[in-house]
Amino acid sequence: MLPSLGAIFFSLFGLFAAVPVQARSSTGNSVLVVLQPDLKRDNFTIFFDNLEKRGYDLTLRTPEDDALPIIRDDNPTYSHIILFAPDIKSFSQDVTPQSLVTVLNAGTNLIVALSPTQSPVFTLASEFSLILPPPSTPLISHFPARDSPPSVIPVAVPPKHPLLTPNTPPVWYSGIPFAHGNNPLLVPILHAPAESFASDTDSDAGAEALFDAAERGGEGLWAGSAMGIVTGFQTRDNSARVTWVGGIELFTDAYAHKSLPSGEKSGNEQFARDVAAWTFQENLVLRIDSITHHLLNETVPREHYTINENIVFEAHISRYDSERGWSPYSGLHDLQLEFTMLDPHIRTALLPVTSKLGLYQAAFRIPDRHGVFKFVLDYRRRGWTILKATTTVPVVPPRHDGYPRFLSAAWPYYAGAISTSLGFFVFAALWLAGDDKERKKGKATKTE
Amino acid sequence: MSMSKAYPLPIDISPTTVANTASLVRIVAFLFISGAAIASRLFAVINFESIIHEFDPWFNYRATRVLASEGFYEFWNWFDPTAWYPLGRVVGGTIYPGLMATSGVIYNVLHSLHLPVDIRNICVLLAPCFSALTAWATYMFTKEMKDESAGLLAAAFIGIVPGYISRSVAGSYDNEAIAIFLLMFTFFLWIKAMKQGSALYGTLTGLFYFYMVAAWGGYAFITNMIPLHALALTLMGRFTNRLYVGYSSWYAIGTLASMQVPFVGFQPVRTSEHMGALGVFGLLQIVAFVELVRVHVSSKQFQQLLFVSVIVVGILGTLVIVGLTYKGWIAPWTGRFYSLWDTGYAKKYIPIIASVSEHQPTAWPSFFMDLHFLIFLFPAGVVLCFKELRDEHVFVVIYALVASYFAGVMVRLMLTLTPIVCVSAAVALSSVLDTYIDPVVPDATDGDADAAKKDRSTTPASSASVVELLTDIVTSGSSPSKRTKHARQGIIGLDTRGVVILNALGMLLFFVVHCTWVTSTAYSSPSVVLASHMPDGLHIIDDFREAYYWLRQNTPKDAVVMSWWDYGYQIAGMADRPTLVDNNTWNNTHIATVGKAMSSPEEVAYPILRKHDVDYVLVIFGGLLGYSGDDINKFLWMVRIAQGVWPDEIQEPRYFTPQGDYRVDDQASSTMKNSLMYKMSYYRFPELFGGGQAQDRVRGQVIPNPGPTLDYLDEAFTSENWIVRIYQVKKEDPLGRDLKGANAFDKGKKRKRTRPPVRRRSLA
Repeated sequence: MLPSLGAIFFSLFGLFAAVPVQARSSTGNSVLVVLQPDLKRDNFTIFFDNLEKRGYDLTLRTPEDDALPIIRDDNPTYSHIILFAPDIKSFSQDVTPQSLVTVLNAGTNLIVALSPTQSPVFTLASEFSLILPPPSTPLISHFPARDSPPSVIPVAVPPKHPLLTPNTPPVWYSGIPFAHGNNPLLVPILHAPAESFASDTDSDAGAEALFDAAERGGEGLWAGSAMGIVTGFQTRDNSARVTWVGGIELFTDAYAHKSLPSGEKSGNEQFARDVAAWTFQENLVLRIDSITHHLLNETVPREHYTINENIVFEAHISRYDSERGWSPYSGLHDLQLEFTMLDPHIRTALLPVTSKLGLYQAAFRIPDRHGVFKFVLDYRRRGWTILKATTTVPVVPPRHDGYPRFLSAAWPYYAGAISTSLGFFVFAALWLAGDDKERKKGKATKTE
Repeated sequence: MSMSKAYPLPIDISPTTVANTASLVRIVAFLFISGAAIASRLFAVINFESIIHEFDPWFNYRATRVLASEGFYEFWNWFDPTAWYPLGRVVGGTIYPGLMATSGVIYNVLHSLHLPVDIRNICVLLAPCFSALTAWATYMFTKEMKDESAGLLAAAFIGIVPGYISRSVAGSYDNEAIAIFLLMFTFFLWIKAMKQGSALYGTLTGLFYFYMVAAWGGYAFITNMIPLHALALTLMGRFTNRLYVGYSSWYAIGTLASMQVPFVGFQPVRTSEHMGALGVFGLLQIVAFVELVRVHVSSKQFQQLLFVSVIVVGILGTLVIVGLTYKGWIAPWTGRFYSLWDTGYAKKYIPIIASVSEHQPTAWPSFFMDLHFLIFLFPAGVVLCFKELRDEHVFVVIYALVASYFAGVMVRLMLTLTPIVCVSAAVALSSVLDTYIDPVVPDATDGDADAAKKDRSTTPASSASVVELLTDIVTSGSSPSKRTKHARQGIIGLDTRGVVILNALGMLLFFVVHCTWVTSTAYSSPSVVLASHMPDGLHIIDDFREAYYWLRQNTPKDAVVMSWWDYGYQIAGMADRPTLVDNNTWNNTHIATVGKAMSSPEEVAYPILRKHDVDYVLVIFGGLLGYSGDDINKFLWMVRIAQGVWPDEIQEPRYFTPQGDYRVDDQASSTMKNSLMYKMSYYRFPELFGGGQAQDRVRGQVIPNPGPTLDYLDEAFTSENWIVRIYQVKKEDPLGRDLKGANAFDKGKKRKRTRPPVRRRSLA
């Protein structure tokens, strides 16, 4: 009912008012939840209800059930997928690491939960430059002192992280840590506590043995705050988002209700909501509406520019807001513009214009070099959508009549040309005016 | 006293009638020659279609279209952003616009006459039409050397000789198409100017020289031939005011005019190639001045003055030239020039020049192939010129010597040799015919002549010789002194005449047959379309156009195509897509970049491709069909050119087997097998043979099965006979992996387990 009403509303008034009613996400509201059979929706009511409250259509299925394939006719069927099946060894045909990458490349966002169990999801994680510990080695920490087992850890949430609500209380966590590979597309959200480590035993006696084994066995040291436990990822081209969570319990009602050692309420609910909001493209979403370029003091782009001309590059950028939808955004102060031919010839700041919201401008003089130049706008900040726009424009040398006509430095040449011409006329006049006698004389001098 | 004649001649014809008839016969003969010249160049159009040939003509055609549609000033200022991406090419300043301007003028004239001729047809048929003009110019030139009959012979020779046809068949829309006409006509005008001392002819020489400069880079040949001639005449003591006037008016006007061509600019006063003309110009001024002084000063004083001044001027002149060169005001000789003297020079220092097949030394058989029996008559003609040695004959002798040398150095320069061979051969043959058709029998043995009298049908001379015969009668009848000279030495008897003349006619016949055969088989292939003869008839192999049209219709307009430079103009012309490098090989580094990409492994080549925004890579592969001009055979040149710029990364020996063979089978070196070129050529090639042996028909080697794999490129298109293969360059992986890993993942291969990166030493 809602969509049709919205459609009528939209078509009648042509306003954007319909958008916030629908969904908070900028890419769509259909969510597929793949839940492994031993888990029930009831375990995650807070998380799922929060999502539905914000306008998402949740569809639940089991890993083996292929009645609701994630991909149909090469098109992804859902805008977002939550993969809560960390322990499942066999999925139905449509859910494979490869098909998940395919839907991701088509713009679908993913939340994937891992567990100490080795599963197909493990294989997928390594494609995202996540380096997972050996199977059955959960994260363990004996600090701070608490009554829960060592594998259930309260993790402090970074107070200032672009995609998290500030000052979220620590969250309860249980699962595996993973190391981050050298990939700029990763967006670490939550790191393991400094004193935690991955281990297959929770007895303190084996700590030394574990350490030695880690050094010798070549498995590396899965310990310390370099390990991630919740990590985001943005794809290069369309900025589809993936969030990897080392343990599914983070999202459960039990952890959300569980109080911290300090006695206060855990931050799990808030944290899960923030992570889902970011992953489903509710915030930190930008887009370039248009880019254009023109000569200084003109407004229409030229087909080509001449060297040394002064030009202006303009970009209109909008930001998505989950409440109000897309609106022009002037808040980026570190945008850069490159004017490139093989190498950047000019790199300059692309600054917001105060008079017009969402407009960014850079004015510069084209270098003294002809060729096909490229305006490159490439903006990558952790957590934010990757902004990338390029457009090419030929830069040509001046036209044949575009050079200065008379040069004062060339006067010696002008004088030479004029005097020679005049001399020739005088000579020709004398020659023609002379009579026969003089002509003979003239003939002798002709060879001079 | 009546002369004894070898055969009866009509005696009641007035000299005017004879002269008029001769003139008519000449005109008719000339029309036939023009017809033959044009017709024999149309094989390509008849066998294939009205299409632009080969490589460079495609650019000329494209430029002409711009000129015809946008007008001259837009053409003049044309900056082509699609060539040499992303550097672009300032076309107006880097071409000789004469050819396009000529076509543009013809196009506009025809259209103003309401003849809506397609610009393509003008371009295709320009070369044959100009060949008729060349025949005329050669006629005029040879007429200055000997007489009209030799001129007609020369015109007939140049009209159908394969050495000229090779560059001027219909569709061969290249600068040479009009340049040979301009060359011959400029030389003719120069001879006229030099002979008559006419400033008018000198000016005309200068103007046509300007046209030549605007049309072809080979104008430097004229720039040096005319001064050489003038210098030789001066050294021979033949300096005259006529020479002075002719040379000075040509040089002054020609040089100033040639500097108006943007591509030439200030070269005539700044480069060594043009210094000869300037030097001779200066020398002639000095000599003229000395002549003037001689009139006024007594002989002994003059000798001393001359001696001192010559030495002083000589030293000063040399010092000035050396000084200017040293200071950089005059550019030293270019590598192209050195390669003319040392044939190994280019291979060592400028592989890009050596890689062009046209720049290879000429093989002996090609002299015969291109010139047939003219090459045997050529020395005879030169000797005849040498015997007479008037001022203009000196020109022929010098031209013959210089052009012979250059034609031996470079196949391409065969073209400049051809006209002088035709002229000399015509002079020789016409002398033979003159001697043997002349009916006058020597006095001493005139009895034999009557005995050997036969009917005139034994001398069915060609139209040329009939004319000659008639003119000969007129001239011999009118001048008694010549008659006595003729009478003293000559040919006795009709049998001798018959043998020689029949022999000469036979050679002419064979020449015609040879020319027709060579033209139809060797020089009329557009090379864009190939033909193969099979038992069931002629098959047209149209892979190039198939692939170029695929590009045109299936790729975005701004998709950049990388290929070896040979195909740049064709891609631009037929596919209308930006290219990295093309046949205008002005930027060696850019070409070396392409060479490096082609000869490197995929993962090294990929960043190069991405940096240059390459979307498609095009390779030519002849292994399936046996087309030997493919990229694997050109590959070593790519390696060499790349090595010239990146000697540390690309090394030619690595592409050979340890035994030093260039192989593509299982013995090929790993560098060879990993190179992008090898992979692109043989990708999926063995699959074509099922389980059988994948035979490369060009190299005659078996490609190992399984063939190479590609991770960074996708096969996008392969033409019917696999001659053109087009690959699409993949975008970076969206997950930031290298594409090799991404491919392995797509194929379901397990990734090797990795360890977390070590950030700090563990605490003990």
